[in-house]
Amino acid sequence: MIKQDSDLLLEISDLHARVEDQPILKGVNLTIRAGEIHAVMGRNGSGKSTLSKVIAGHPAYTITSGTVRFEGKDLLSMEPEERARSGVFLGFQYPVEIPGVSNLEFLRVATNSRRVEIGEEELDTFEFEDLVKERLHMVQMNPAFLDRSVNEGFSGGEKKRNEILQMALLEPTVSILDETDSGLDIDALRVVANGVKKLAKANTATVLITHYQRLLNEVTPDFVHVMDAGRILRTGNKELAIELEQTGYDWVDKASKKKVEN
Amino acid sequence: MNSQNPAGEIVSKPYKYGFVTDIETEKIEKGLTEEVVRLISNKKQEPEFLLNYRLKAYKQWLKMKEPDWAGLGYPNIDYQDIIYYAAPKNNQKKASLEEVDPKLLETFDKLGIPLSEQKRLSNVAVDAVFDSVSIATTFKEKLAEDGVIFCSIGEAVKEYPDLIEKYLGTVVPHNDNFFAALNSAVFSDGSFVFVPKGVDCPMELSSYFRINSGDTGQFERTLIIAEEGASVSYLEGCTAPMFDTNTLHAAVVELVTLDNASIKYSTVQNWYSGNEDGIGGIYNFVTKRGQCRGKRSKISWSQVETGSAITWKYPSCILQGEESIGEFYSVALTNNHQKADTGTKMIHIGPKTKSTIVSKGISAGKSSNSYRGLVQMGPKAIGARNYSQCDSMLIGDQAAANTYPYIRSQQPQANIEHEASTSRISEEQLFYLQSRGIGFEEAVSMMVSGFCRDVFNQLPLEFAAEADKLMALKLEGSVG
Amino acid sequence: MAIERQWLSSLPLPNGALEAVQRRGRELLRSSSMPQNSQEEWRVTDINQLNNLLALPLSYAINKPLNTNTNRWPNEPVNGLRIVLDPHESSINNLGLPKGISMLSALELEQNLGHTLEQCSCKGDWPVAINHASANQVLALKIQGRDLPPIELVIKSTPDSFNPTRVLLILEEKARIDLLQVILGENNSAESHIVEIHLGQEAEINHGFLALGDNQSRLLSHLAIEQEPRSHYSFTSIQHGWSLGRIEPHIVQVHGQAKTTLKGLQVSSDKQQLATHSYVRFNGPDGQLDQLQKAAAEGESHCIFNGAVDVPRIAQKTNAAQLSRNLLLSKRARIDTKPELKIIADDVTCTHGATVTQLQAEELFYLRSRGIGPNQATSLLFRGYCQDIIETLPVEANRWDCLNNLMSTLPNDV
Repeated sequence: MIKQDSDLLLEISDLHARVEDQPILKGVNLTIRAGEIHAVMGRNGSGKSTLSKVIAGHPAYTITSGTVRFEGKDLLSMEPEERARSGVFLGFQYPVEIPGVSNLEFLRVATNSRRVEIGEEELDTFEFEDLVKERLHMVQMNPAFLDRSVNEGFSGGEKKRNEILQMALLEPTVSILDETDSGLDIDALRVVANGVKKLAKANTATVLITHYQRLLNEVTPDFVHVMDAGRILRTGNKELAIELEQTGYDWVDKASKKKVEN
Repeated sequence: MNSQNPAGEIVSKPYKYGFVTDIETEKIEKGLTEEVVRLISNKKQEPEFLLNYRLKAYKQWLKMKEPDWAGLGYPNIDYQDIIYYAAPKNNQKKASLEEVDPKLLETFDKLGIPLSEQKRLSNVAVDAVFDSVSIATTFKEKLAEDGVIFCSIGEAVKEYPDLIEKYLGTVVPHNDNFFAALNSAVFSDGSFVFVPKGVDCPMELSSYFRINSGDTGQFERTLIIAEEGASVSYLEGCTAPMFDTNTLHAAVVELVTLDNASIKYSTVQNWYSGNEDGIGGIYNFVTKRGQCRGKRSKISWSQVETGSAITWKYPSCILQGEESIGEFYSVALTNNHQKADTGTKMIHIGPKTKSTIVSKGISAGKSSNSYRGLVQMGPKAIGARNYSQCDSMLIGDQAAANTYPYIRSQQPQANIEHEASTSRISEEQLFYLQSRGIGFEEAVSMMVSGFCRDVFNQLPLEFAAEADKLMALKLEGSVG
Repeated sequence: MAIERQWLSSLPLPNGALEAVQRRGRELLRSSSMPQNSQEEWRVTDINQLNNLLALPLSYAINKPLNTNTNRWPNEPVNGLRIVLDPHESSINNLGLPKGISMLSALELEQNLGHTLEQCSCKGDWPVAINHASANQVLALKIQGRDLPPIELVIKSTPDSFNPTRVLLILEEKARIDLLQVILGENNSAESHIVEIHLGQEAEINHGFLALGDNQSRLLSHLAIEQEPRSHYSFTSIQHGWSLGRIEPHIVQVHGQAKTTLKGLQVSSDKQQLATHSYVRFNGPDGQLDQLQKAAAEGESHCIFNGAVDVPRIAQKTNAAQLSRNLLLSKRARIDTKPELKIIADDVTCTHGATVTQLQAEELFYLRSRGIGPNQATSLLFRGYCQDIIETLPVEANRWDCLNNLMSTLPNDV
């Protein structure tokens, strides 16, 4: 939902980043306002995932220039946990398995650190269990997963549901979902999409990073951005995603070449 | 697979290199004294620094004790009952191959290493060492065009004394261990390779060691240097006749790589291993070590160890230069009464150094096969990584497989991962092969070959086929 | 050498129930030498620490010993039996044992004491010899039947002294019991402890071994375990906080066909040196071993693991798996680990593995990306790392709060 005067949430300007000696992001510009849903598309290696990890503060990436502002604050100077606590959420493409660490305890600690940040009471074990049960329902996840170790032995779909569950618990302001749709069957995809729709509010924003149109059939984006070689090549509305689905990415090469020549 | 190799052929030849060449040899008296060390140096007309080096090592050796920690349990070696210098008579290095004693050329022909102009391999330069002396080196002139020096160490001492003085004993110090000290005192000959800055050596280099005399100790010394950006692949092969006494072989190999240089060192060791009852065979106590001095330099050891009565060898890498790489790929096969205690040491000193160890041990008969390795991460080895895999296969219920992987880390930002397994050939897999018409022995040999595949893939092409054949030969009669 | 002589001459004359054992132990020490780094099993040990240990007076020979701080002890278990082993006492009486658990008679003791050590070829080991030379009592129990109350065996050690203690357990055929042993180091104490356990056919024991030092204390413990066919020995050890700590579980499956489960966790900090030297031998076919040894070293500490597995020809169809997982948490800490497999039987499946790493950066980042601060994330991960060992301890162990104890040593700068 686009409203011209709504609050500016995330503002990325001329962002350059590299991993080891390899430049990946080469000048990304992106502005996200409250109430908006953005889709970032592009082929493998175009820099989509890097963009999401840089926003979340992954230590493997070095920012070489540019800025990222979140609600006016300098996001890049914040630690990963500070970003999460202030409301930036990254749904991982490949959520890591953490043997031995109880999923329930992890969720509780994470939820409470967010709550403290926004001035809410910490939840004790019982209160938290009530909350988590309610949110579990939303992602249609089996409560048995709470007693297991974080993501350990979860199937691909279960891991993604666990990501959406975390999003539902942390109630972030900006959610970036990195290929949350990949590897999901159609039912799981609906669950994820419904979760995203329910959590999208007038004062929050969502960024969907995806390869495919099918998630966008469920969740209609306000903006579609196409990334290539570390930059946003083109921005349009939902029609652009449909066009991409039909024509593929071949035009990207021509457009990319043109852009370089210019 | 060597499917063109009929099973009958495998059965007929236990050790086909066991013949003795009847040639007049110049030997010195048995025993080791300071005089003997001087005599060896004198015979080789060595400069004074080398004589001093030998004497220093000899004096050190006298103070050292023969190690027993490997638990190999071999009879005491009488060091005064060994001849420390033997060479074919008229051993002045010949200007051309035509002048070399035809008997020697014939010997190497029989071993499958033709040296003469017409027959020699087109892409491999060979240094042939007979008893203690290098008798011929092929393609020297061609290599010289690229600035590559490939000659016997004796020749190098005369022609490039500066290089020898600069590098000899800098990777394996004269007092490193009992056998290295002994070698440093009495080493006879061996190969010397120098690849200058930026040169990618245009052909494979190879040394072929042949022990011929029964009571002579073998103490070759090999030194390979790759300067900045240089690279070379070196192969080493060895055989010996069948004697019912044990012959001591105590070689030292030193490798040095400077920035961005790489050395690949491959060995197919097939010294005589003794007969079925464990009589005779070579005691193979070898010190091999490479030092990656330069940044991003690389040393890769691959070895196929099938011979010797006792093998005791740990080709190692000292990873000093930042981002340098060490590799060790090994297949050790023991049969009858053979004992092999082999492995590697990867000493990570520099940051972001990487090492890989893949070791495959196969024990058959009453033999014993041990992997003994050390992976050490020093305090400065930030971001260093090691991966080791050591698998053993047992054939028959009297063979032993032991594994002793020492791991030591002093650097939290270093990663070490070690995996190992011991198993036997699965009956189901065997049955599957047999049900497709493959004979039992061949099926076993296929399985063994598959087990070793990761290592064989690291060998230069000519050697890989050779190694496969060798394995099949060694296993003959050990199954069923 | 001189220190050991001095120690031997400082001991009271042999007497009591273990007089003969004391004589033999002292004889052995006189004729052998102190451990040296040149010996494989003492290769990386700080020998000075062993010397310090021998410099302490023998606890039962002190007239007025310092009091043991029992504040750290939780209340007695509600459904279990607590036995306190006090090296000051020269004999053990009136334990109020329930049906199924009884003290060995003098004759039974004579027949059984040392038998398992012999079976496990441990008699010549130095930690065994010094215990033999000095211990003056032994807790010897016979276990019959199942559905027995769990035993909590607390070793009461005396500060500033050398505490030798010894335990012998005979599990009759089909017996089953939970045993939690707790050894707490007391200010500058040294613990010398031997356990012998004989498991009859189909017997089962879940043996927890909680060894928590106070950074000033030392521990040398040796376990000899003899397993008859179809028995199951499950051992979980937690070792933490000893300036020198060493646990040596030696297990022999006398006719194979038994199951051995070994889980160990050692967490070292400061300048501590903690070691586990395990040895498992299969004297028959169809034996199983499942071993997981974890270690975490921080500060300037040093963790050592040596895990020997011996599979002789007779032990066909043995299935043994060993894994050593190590965390190196500080730049000045050290890890030494060495699996050691000796295999002669050909129809066996044996695997072993070892890793040395720090906490996984990706896991840490994942937790931080959910708003969890680095210290708490580290602590969660570390807890998770310890969890699978701790949860196999007998349940009574929870009362000793050992996880929190371990967590308290976590560095803040990881």
